[in-house]
Amino acid sequence: MKTKKELKKEIIIQAALELFSKKGFYTTTIPDIAQSLKMSVGNMYNYFKSKDILAKEIIKHISHYLGEQLKSINEKEISTEEKTKQIVAVYFETANLKPEMIDYFLRVFLSNREVFKEGCEGMICVNDFVTEIMIYFEDGVKNGELRDQDFFSAFGLFMGYLGGMVFLKGENILPNNLDSYIDDISNNIYKALKV
Amino acid sequence: MIELIEKIEGEAKLNFSFKNKKIDFVDIEFLSSRHIENILKGKNPLDALVINPRVCGICNHAHLIATVQALENCYEDIEVSQKAKIARELTLNFEIIQNHFKWIYLTLFPLLGFKQNIKGATYPSQLMAKAIATIAGQYPHNSYAIVGGIVSEITTNDLIKMENYLDEVIKFYQETIVNADIEDFLVCDSIEKILNANGDLPLILNTLKNKKISKIGKSFDRFIAFGDNSYFKSGRGVKTKINHNINVKYVNEHLNKNSYAKNVKFKNYYYEVGALSRAMINKTPLIKDSHRRYQDSIFSRILARICEIPQLLIHSKKLISQINLEEPSYIKPKKDISKLNASGVGIIEAARGSLIHKVNIKENKIIEYQIITPTQWNLSNGSKYDLGISQKAMAGLEDTKLAQIVFKSFDVCSVCTTH
Amino acid sequence: MKLLWLNLLSCNGNVHSFLNYPNIENFLKDFTFIYHPTLDTSYSLKDIVSKDIDCDVLLIDGTLEDGHTKADVDIKEIINKYGQKVKKIITVGTCASFGGIFLNDESTKYGLHFRQKVEHDRYEQFKEKTINISGCPIHPEILVNTLYSIKKEYHLKLDLYLRPKEFFATTIHNGCTRNEYFEYKIDNHKFGNLEGCMFYDHGCQGPYTNGSCNKILWNEVNSKTRVGHPCMGCTEPTFPKENLFETKTNMGIPQYLPLGVPKRAYLSLAGVAKAFTIERFHTKING
Repeated sequence: MKTKKELKKEIIIQAALELFSKKGFYTTTIPDIAQSLKMSVGNMYNYFKSKDILAKEIIKHISHYLGEQLKSINEKEISTEEKTKQIVAVYFETANLKPEMIDYFLRVFLSNREVFKEGCEGMICVNDFVTEIMIYFEDGVKNGELRDQDFFSAFGLFMGYLGGMVFLKGENILPNNLDSYIDDISNNIYKALKV
Repeated sequence: MIELIEKIEGEAKLNFSFKNKKIDFVDIEFLSSRHIENILKGKNPLDALVINPRVCGICNHAHLIATVQALENCYEDIEVSQKAKIARELTLNFEIIQNHFKWIYLTLFPLLGFKQNIKGATYPSQLMAKAIATIAGQYPHNSYAIVGGIVSEITTNDLIKMENYLDEVIKFYQETIVNADIEDFLVCDSIEKILNANGDLPLILNTLKNKKISKIGKSFDRFIAFGDNSYFKSGRGVKTKINHNINVKYVNEHLNKNSYAKNVKFKNYYYEVGALSRAMINKTPLIKDSHRRYQDSIFSRILARICEIPQLLIHSKKLISQINLEEPSYIKPKKDISKLNASGVGIIEAARGSLIHKVNIKENKIIEYQIITPTQWNLSNGSKYDLGISQKAMAGLEDTKLAQIVFKSFDVCSVCTTH
Repeated sequence: MKLLWLNLLSCNGNVHSFLNYPNIENFLKDFTFIYHPTLDTSYSLKDIVSKDIDCDVLLIDGTLEDGHTKADVDIKEIINKYGQKVKKIITVGTCASFGGIFLNDESTKYGLHFRQKVEHDRYEQFKEKTINISGCPIHPEILVNTLYSIKKEYHLKLDLYLRPKEFFATTIHNGCTRNEYFEYKIDNHKFGNLEGCMFYDHGCQGPYTNGSCNKILWNEVNSKTRVGHPCMGCTEPTFPKENLFETKTNMGIPQYLPLGVPKRAYLSLAGVAKAFTIERFHTKING
């Protein structure tokens, strides 16, 4: 059960994400976010002491959100091929339902490293998500479905591909909805990684 | 008449047949095997470094060094630093020294009517085990020698510790084996001097004389040693005629019906291996003197074994001073062993004599592995018309008790022989 | 207290490890061997198998094999005879405990109550009084201290494999001098160096092998992992595994994780640790 404070934090994060997506990360201020929620700025600082801290909490929140989804897929007794498809589906579904989340990840987290350089070194803040991807890979190799290889090569292939597709969608270049690409993309990924 | 010989790192059965109240022929039977050569088939080559020490609990380190040399010999061209080579020779020396002390005080003493001397056997052995553990981690059963060198980095402190252990054993040797300065002993070339000294060595030799058994146990006076290192020289000899030109390709094993041990010959002859052989080939003055009087009887055999202790102690100190710590302990082979299709041989001198390992590897698996242990040489079970070394040594004796003394003078290792 | 040390399919490594016990002369004053493979005893092997000699503890060393005989008597007969009369049975070493290195995939070979991880009931009547001291070889202090515990009638808690928890509840990892490299997930180990942890690449089984090697040192001075030699898991029922000098990974993740650590916990910690480069762990200690 989440506490009232945790629930409130989530509401703030959601509001922040939407504003960052609409107005841009640097132009959005804490007062902007507070106003959109009809909160006082002082109260806002009770939940997040600074914009930088908010920024890091957001990425952990996203990682945790995606991580939980991936964890339930990982725990299913299905083939790695099927897991691949479900992971791609979850990613694209999130991109559809909560575009501000993926948007934040690509345009804020990846592109403004200086904001995250202290407190989010390496992949710490996306730990939940990365751990689940590691488990997906490891189970796949253990089951004899995926080729044993360097983790980063496989990770880059998977994440780069997905991120690329979402980026194209964001730029309105893709003719169709992301959903319609799930089969082809998960097939390509699985074929590239399998034994 | 069948006698079960016990406490020879296992057991063996000697079947004596008598003629005119003297031993006419002895059939030697070893009773069980763990089939290690079979266990090795299909295994990863490097795993042999872990499996082979388990051939034997008292000379496990010898098997390790022979294994790593056999694997390295599979390469056309592999670099191992001098530092690693010296380290391997050192730890092997420590094991040999430990073997000799145990044999004197646990095996030889009771044979000659004395009680086992537990301290004599264990005190120096524990010190030598510590010396090995200093750079190999533990003793018994380590695999610190790997293809390309050794796993451990050696520090100045390690060198100091190993030398201190050697010094303590030297002190013990001087207190118990021969009460004389060890350096004087090493250049001694007269049996008389030893017999008139104090200590357990003169005690043993004088006991042999008093019991009038100094001259028993003579065999063919044929010696062989294959392991070359900075102290031992390979070669073979008949009496004092030594030839350094030998090749392991002329070594052949033969199955022995009813026994788990195989016989082994060089160019169709049985040869003795061990400390006496090494001393004859190296032309050690004191042993030459003994051989002049007693040929290859138990007197010479026992003396040669005990004399190796101070030789190896002093030589080991020299080796320590030669180690260059700046050299790498390990040099990664340019080609991984999993890529080789080759065969190799590793030969070293273990406490009881030459130990030969032959390996054949292909596609990261051991296709075949052959181990020939020193006791197989000495205790080859030949026929009445082609006697093995110990069989010849026991023939003509009047009772089985004397035969046991002769048999155990070769220091039998049952587990090695049958592996 | 009277002890019978019975060697079966053994290399004698346990005997020689035992002889490395520092206070062995005192030990021999407190215990009597009615038979021992190397030390002088009042009885010969032939006496032991043919007569009924008084005995308090039976020590079984080496792999058991169907039909194996000692002095022409089937070992089953010998084990049953002495197993019944003794207070305790100790399996000395991994071979007698689990089958060990000489199993050679043959079903006719096994440990006293276990064949690797599988329990069998060939000597079921003796399970209650058995203590397994695994190890290849055994650590002399563990054997001797267990014998003293029996003599003094201390109660020994045993794990599921009948090993005394006092010595086998901890892992080999406990006390290794290379722990710092493990803690911070530094996977730069190269052979021949003082630095580095062998768990990531070179097959060290320390984090998931039960024993006390880095707590009670070997020969009172050292241990394998301290010198840079990977732990080979010799106290475990699965000894020996294969490719012992290599760590099996699945896309970079070790197949076998530290004892009791869930995969997600390990990976999360690994992920965090890998975010940082700690200079000290990438420089030579003696450099």
